[in-house]
Amino acid sequence: MKRTLVVAAAVAMAVFALSGCAKKVESTKLVYWSMWNQTEPQAQVIEAAVRDFESKNPGVSVEINWNGREIRKTLQPALDNKQVIDLWDEDIERVVKTWGAYALRLDDYLGKSFPTTGGKAYKDSVMGSLVDLARSYSSDKGLYAVPYQPFLFAFMYNKEHFAKAGVTATPRSWDELLDAMAKLKSAGFVPMTVDDAYMDTLPGYYLARAKGYPWVQSLVKDKTNAMWDDPAVMQMAKAFENLAKMGYLSKTVSSNKWPAGQQDVASGAVTMYLNGTWLVNEIMGTTGPDFKWGTFSFPTVPNGKDDGTAANYGAQAFQINKNCATPDLAFALVAHLTTGAWDAELAKKSYGVPVGGTTEWPAQLAEAKAIFENLKTCYPWAAGIQADTDKLPVIVENFTRLVGGTVTAEQFVAAMKR
Amino acid sequence: MKKNPYTLMKVAFLGPAVLAYVGIFLYPTLRTTVMSFFTVGSITDAMGKWTFAGLGNYADLFASTLFMRSVSNLGGIWLFGGLIVFAFAMLFAVILTSGVRFKSFWRAVIYLPNVISAVAMGTMWMQYVYSSRYGLLKGLFSSLGLERLAAIPWTSPDYIFGALLVAYCFGMVGYFMLIFMAGIEKIPADFYEAATIDGASRAAQFWKITVPLLKGVLRTSLVLWTISTVGFFVWSMIFSPLNPEPGTVTPMVYMYQMVFGANMVVTDRNVGAGAAVGVILSLMVLAIFLVSSRIAREDDLEY
Repeated sequence: MKRTLVVAAAVAMAVFALSGCAKKVESTKLVYWSMWNQTEPQAQVIEAAVRDFESKNPGVSVEINWNGREIRKTLQPALDNKQVIDLWDEDIERVVKTWGAYALRLDDYLGKSFPTTGGKAYKDSVMGSLVDLARSYSSDKGLYAVPYQPFLFAFMYNKEHFAKAGVTATPRSWDELLDAMAKLKSAGFVPMTVDDAYMDTLPGYYLARAKGYPWVQSLVKDKTNAMWDDPAVMQMAKAFENLAKMGYLSKTVSSNKWPAGQQDVASGAVTMYLNGTWLVNEIMGTTGPDFKWGTFSFPTVPNGKDDGTAANYGAQAFQINKNCATPDLAFALVAHLTTGAWDAELAKKSYGVPVGGTTEWPAQLAEAKAIFENLKTCYPWAAGIQADTDKLPVIVENFTRLVGGTVTAEQFVAAMKR
Repeated sequence: MKKNPYTLMKVAFLGPAVLAYVGIFLYPTLRTTVMSFFTVGSITDAMGKWTFAGLGNYADLFASTLFMRSVSNLGGIWLFGGLIVFAFAMLFAVILTSGVRFKSFWRAVIYLPNVISAVAMGTMWMQYVYSSRYGLLKGLFSSLGLERLAAIPWTSPDYIFGALLVAYCFGMVGYFMLIFMAGIEKIPADFYEAATIDGASRAAQFWKITVPLLKGVLRTSLVLWTISTVGFFVWSMIFSPLNPEPGTVTPMVYMYQMVFGANMVVTDRNVGAGAAVGVILSLMVLAIFLVSSRIAREDDLEY
C-alpha cells in the first residue's frame, strides 16, 4: 500500500514537472536584421547584449542577420515579400522616412519601465532630444523608431596640434578659424583636409551658417540656377578660395579618396577634419586610444544666420515590424540594448555617444558632449546640399577644383549656374 | 493527318529551356519596359501603386545633366577604351603568335589581371597606384626626377576619367588578346609562308592576311566590348563609392541611384526612371550589334 502511494506520488510529481516543463519549452523567436557587419565593434556588443537578453529570458531566441549597410537595399524587398523580420535598424531619418510604413507605432512603450531603466520610465532614461528627432521625421509625429548610438557632425581636431601652435580656444567665428589656421601653419602643421566623401559638407555647412539649411535645400533644387547669384554663394566661394591660397588646406585635398584624408588626420599630418563623432572609432586602429581628440562646431560666418546651436546630429535607430507577433518582447529587447549597461558598453567599445542621458561619455568626446547639450536645430546631412542628387555631383566636382586651387571663386559660381 | 512522331520529344527537350528563357529573360525585360513608362517608388511595389508617366521618365533623363554626362562618359569609355584595348590586345596577340619564346608565360602574365577580382584591382589602382601621398606613379616619376608628372593629382576631377580608363583597360587587354590569339592561330601558316616567299613585309602580312581573316573575330569582339562597357558599373563604383561623380558616372551607376536611392541621404526614388535607363542601354547594344554586323558582314571565306 505504502509502495503504491509512493509510486503514485512519484508519477503525479513527474506529470506535474513535465507539464511545467512543457510550458517552459514553449519558445519564442525574434528575427533581427542588423545594419552592422559582424566584425564591427557595434555588432560585437549588440551580439553579446542579445545573448545576455536570451539568458535572462528563457525560451526566447533571437536570430540575427548581419546585413551591414546593404540593408538599405535588402530590407524593403524582404518586407514586401512577407519575410518574418521582427526588428531592424539603420539611420534614424532613413528608418522613419523610408520604412515608416512597415513599422509599429511605439509611443505607448515610452512610459513603461524595464529591468535596465532602473525603475524609471523608458523616456526618462534616454536623451529626449533624440526621441523628438525621431518623431519629427514621421508624417503623423508619432514615434516609429527608437534611437541609439547618437552622432554629431562637427570639426574633429587634434588637441595636441592646437596646444603646440598656441591656439587656446576653439574657433567660434570664421575669423577665429582663420587665426587658428594661421597659427597652425606657422607651427608647421597642415590645418585642414577633407575627403571626396565629405567634400560637400564644407560648402553645405558654410551656406547653412550664412542662410539656414532650408535655403540651402532650395538653392540646390532651383532649376533656374538664379539663386546661385546670391552674394552668400560668392562669399562662400571666396572663403574657400582664400583657404586654398593661404595654404591652409592639405596639398592632396583635390585628389583625396576616402579614407586618405582622414588617415592623414590619424597619422598626425593634418589637424582638423569636418566629420562625425564616429571618426574617433573609425580611425582608432591608427590613432590608438591616447590620441587627444577635440571637437568644435562649424564656426559662424560673416553676415550669417546660424550658430553653434545648429548642426547635423542623429542616431541609429531600431524599428519594430507592425506585424510582429510579440511586440512587447521585441520592445523589451530594444530597451535592453539601448539603456543601462549595454548602452554604456556600446559607447565604450565603439568610442561613441551613449543614448542614456546620464551614462558617461568616452573621454575622446568630452568636447562633443558640450556641443550636443546646446543643440537647438538639426541640420539634414551636409546641411541640405545633397537635396538634389543630380546637382550634387556637379557641386562636388567644382568645389573640389576650388579647394584644389585650380579654379577661382568666380569660375566656381559660373560653373554652378551652367 | 499523320502525327509528327517527334512532337513529344521536341516539347520535352525544348520546354524547360523555353520556360526558363520566358521566366528569367523575357518577363523581366517586358516588365522593365512597361515600368519605364511609370513612376515607381520602390522596386517591389505592386503594380497598383505605379503611376503612369508616359514618356516623362525619358524626358527627365535627357534633361538631366548628370545622366547626359554619364552617357558621354560611356561613349568615351567605349571609343577611347576600345581603341586602347584593341590596339594593345592585337599587338600582343601578333607578337605572341609569331613564335616568341616563353609564349605561355607571357600569355599568362598579360591575362593575369582578369583572374583577380575587379574590386581588388580597382582598389589597388585607386588607393595605391594613383595615391598622391605614396602612390606608385608618384614614386616612379619622383625617382626619375620628373617632378611635374609626380605632382599630378590623378584622382582629382580633371584627371579621374583618364585614370579610370587606364585602370580598366589594363585589365581588359589580356581578355581580348586571348580571343585574337585563338583567331590568328586558326589562320593556316602556309598563307604567311607564301607571302614571305613573295616578299611581303611583316606589316603587309598583318594588314593583308591577318586583319581580313580576323573580321569575324573582330566583329564578335566588338559586340562583346560593347556589352561589357554598357554594363560599366563596378569600376565606377570603386572610383566613386559614395556618390556618383561627373568624371566617373555611367548610366548603370545612374540607374542604381534611381532604383535604390542615394547613399547618404533619404531621397525620392524613381524605379521607373531606372528602368528607362535600362531600356535606353538595351537599345544602344542592339544598335551597335546591327551596325557592326552591317560593317563586317559574315564572310563566306573558308580556310
